[in-house]
Amino acid sequence: MTYGNAVELHEVSREYGLGVRALDGVSAVFPAGTWTAVMGPSGSGKSTLLHCAAGLEQVTRGRVLLAGRDITAAPDAALTAMRRRSVGFVFQSFNLIGSLTAEQNVALPLKLSGVRVPRRDVHAALARVGLGDRVRHRPRELSGGQQQRVAIARAMIMSPAVLFADEPTGALDSASARTVLGLMREMADAGQTIVMVTHDPAAAARADAVVFLADGRIVDRLVRPTATRVADRLVRLEG
Amino acid sequence: MLWMSLSTLAERWRLFAGAILSVALGVALVQSAIQVLVATGEPEVPAGVSGREAEAIREGYAGAATLLGMTVMLAWFLAVFVVASTFAFTVAQRRRELALFRLVGAGRGRVVRLLLAEGLLLGAAGSALGVPLGIPAAWAQARLLVALGMLPDDFAAPFSGAAVAVAAPVGVGVALLGVLSAAVRAARVRPLEALRDTGGAARVMTATRWVCGLGSLALTVWMVVAAQSADVLGAVMVALVVSMTGAVALSALSPLAVPLTGRALGALLGGGPLGELARANLADGVRRGASVAAPLIVLVSLVIGLTGTLQSLALFVGEDLKRVVRGDLVVASSGAAADRIAAIPGVETVSAQFTVPVSVTATLREEGRKRRATYHAGVVAVDPAAYARTHRLKARGGLDRLRGNTVAVGPGLDGEGIRLGSTVTARVAGERRTLKVVAALPATMENYAERFLLPREIVPAGVLAKAEAESVVVVADGTDPGEVAERVRAAGIGTARTVARWAEDRSEEQQRGNVGILAALMGLAAVYALVAVVNAVVIATSERRVEFANARVTGLSRPQVVRAAVIETWAVTTIGLLLGCLVAAGALAGIRASAIAAVGRPLLAVPWGLLLALAAGAYAVSGAASAWSAWSATRIPPVRLIAARE
Repeated sequence: MTYGNAVELHEVSREYGLGVRALDGVSAVFPAGTWTAVMGPSGSGKSTLLHCAAGLEQVTRGRVLLAGRDITAAPDAALTAMRRRSVGFVFQSFNLIGSLTAEQNVALPLKLSGVRVPRRDVHAALARVGLGDRVRHRPRELSGGQQQRVAIARAMIMSPAVLFADEPTGALDSASARTVLGLMREMADAGQTIVMVTHDPAAAARADAVVFLADGRIVDRLVRPTATRVADRLVRLEG
Repeated sequence: MLWMSLSTLAERWRLFAGAILSVALGVALVQSAIQVLVATGEPEVPAGVSGREAEAIREGYAGAATLLGMTVMLAWFLAVFVVASTFAFTVAQRRRELALFRLVGAGRGRVVRLLLAEGLLLGAAGSALGVPLGIPAAWAQARLLVALGMLPDDFAAPFSGAAVAVAAPVGVGVALLGVLSAAVRAARVRPLEALRDTGGAARVMTATRWVCGLGSLALTVWMVVAAQSADVLGAVMVALVVSMTGAVALSALSPLAVPLTGRALGALLGGGPLGELARANLADGVRRGASVAAPLIVLVSLVIGLTGTLQSLALFVGEDLKRVVRGDLVVASSGAAADRIAAIPGVETVSAQFTVPVSVTATLREEGRKRRATYHAGVVAVDPAAYARTHRLKARGGLDRLRGNTVAVGPGLDGEGIRLGSTVTARVAGERRTLKVVAALPATMENYAERFLLPREIVPAGVLAKAEAESVVVVADGTDPGEVAERVRAAGIGTARTVARWAEDRSEEQQRGNVGILAALMGLAAVYALVAVVNAVVIATSERRVEFANARVTGLSRPQVVRAAVIETWAVTTIGLLLGCLVAAGALAGIRASAIAAVGRPLLAVPWGLLLALAAGAYAVSGAASAWSAWSATRIPPVRLIAARE
């Protein structure tokens, strides 16, 4: 990594029509090579924060720097190009393309950016997430946990500047969730920057740091979290 | 349960709007054809017109009625085909939602009842919209027939309750039929399989599809084989039916063509990511593809099959004329000038044929019934000996007996039941004459062939001189027909063409006439089929918003998503066009074979230009519909469709 911070938010606000303020002057940095969890009660703006940081949503005020580039007013074409090279996503709803097989899904972003992807590498990535025998399966033929692991394999092979994860374990059973979190931990240990929104203290506890949001502002931070301490803070925020 | 239908309606208005549109246009099409047909039933012959004009009006009406009868049949077929396939598709598109309905405790019967109730509502709404739409459609249809000269200028097709009574139930009935099999299937599939789109839910080639497809295919193949030894009329009927059964068969079986097309597409586009995605979507969305291809198959098979049939028949006419007429030149001139041809140097034989204003009233006997009919058009005066020398027609009775007060039945009335030895009454220059039928000529391929041949001596010279004449000329051995033609022109007699040229001109004239007939027959139907293509594309695409959103967060730009959708639609369009051509080829195979028996050599007019235009139109329409609907389906930022909801 040539830059210190993978994502920087400067005084970012995001308002929806009729004065609903999802983010209210948030400033935050997500250092490269770390895994940060974003937590907060429902409606605290944690998903909006993630979407603004990833360039999926336009901010109303403030500046967003992603992988060293100011994306505050970047056109869709530039953001699309970033999605292929610098940004990876893992969503609660898995966001795989239903018609493509697991290996095609994994290879797609790199292929789109014109990089030839050796099939060997694709299979290796799928093998690393434990799906070496499922390369030809379509998403609908896989369980939720398996689909999420395909999404992770896709992120692995890209090694994006930042991997954004939006409730990655939200739709999974606890065993699958543990597997997915273990894989994300491996990636983070290998230097992958991850920004993850979650409501699950156990998931947040696997991250290097946790940021707490309430009413669109950052209200707390926790480094080297444990599930108990995270849960504790959450209860205080909601109470 | 009503609130559920209503909320589904709000969510999926495109799907339902498409279903209603297909019913409305189908009903309008059937209704307008019937409305105009009813109006042609009673020819209005104005008082005071001559017998000849009255006959022309009545024949125009009869021709229009025949054409409209076929139009009604085609409209029926298309409406049933399009409405049934659209409704089945809308049910298939909602399988997930129906599975959820099942999961929360709805029984199978309830799902079927829900869908049938919706089908009834949509069918009724479509019919209600279709009835007023049928009025301008009937007006357009009637104007077209007037422009073709088949019907008088003041012809009008008033609103007909009978037409509505027939057409409106078609909409509702067919909508219900289309829903029924899809609904039973949707109810039979296990909810979990439907949710995941696996197992029985993912199967596109259902038992119904196999049975319907293979059954129609067997029937079609049998007919195509039988047509190889049929006469021309039989071959025409087979072509018409094959165009329809073949379209049904290949539409049902079209999913089988997808893998092959996918491979061809791969070879064409290489391994680029967009091509790969389009190919994968094609293979994954077979049901969707089949729904887009179906109206195209039926469009191409009907338009190309029928046009090819009619244009081939016109070719047969030309070929038949070349076979029948034994001569070198055909001269068109006035009757007076025709008698000067014999004096031109180099002319050996002249057979002049004068179209005379003579009416003939004959008794027609068929199947024990007798009726009298008067004919005005198609009565010609000839020199029987010259006629026999220049025409290869074997007359029953013998043309040599055509002398004095006699008449020969022409090819145009062959088989109408005018007996040899009977008498007819002719009105020649205001004088009634009783003529004995002494000969009858066999039918030729031509539509408006001569009906009666009179010996020229019974027609006053003054009448002959004023008549239009067409003379077949045989030149003397060793003379160049071109020189004789030049001399005929130089003498100011009229225009001379070679027999081959003349026959081809007659054939082309008929082909030009066919264009109008085909426009009247299939113009609106073709538009309907194209609308059905657009409809299927829009319904399919509007259901793919989440899929498109996923593609976009993976790194596809919005234009790329649209491009992949268009490539996929074009691949499906190609399938539709190719299968449609296959059906048309089957339909025309019989026509080509029948030409051997009829005119001695295989002849076929393939409307390549029309096919090209049709293909270009299909690509343009399906591509535009796909681009527009994919663009509007990607209008919402992808994150709103796939992000976790709190």
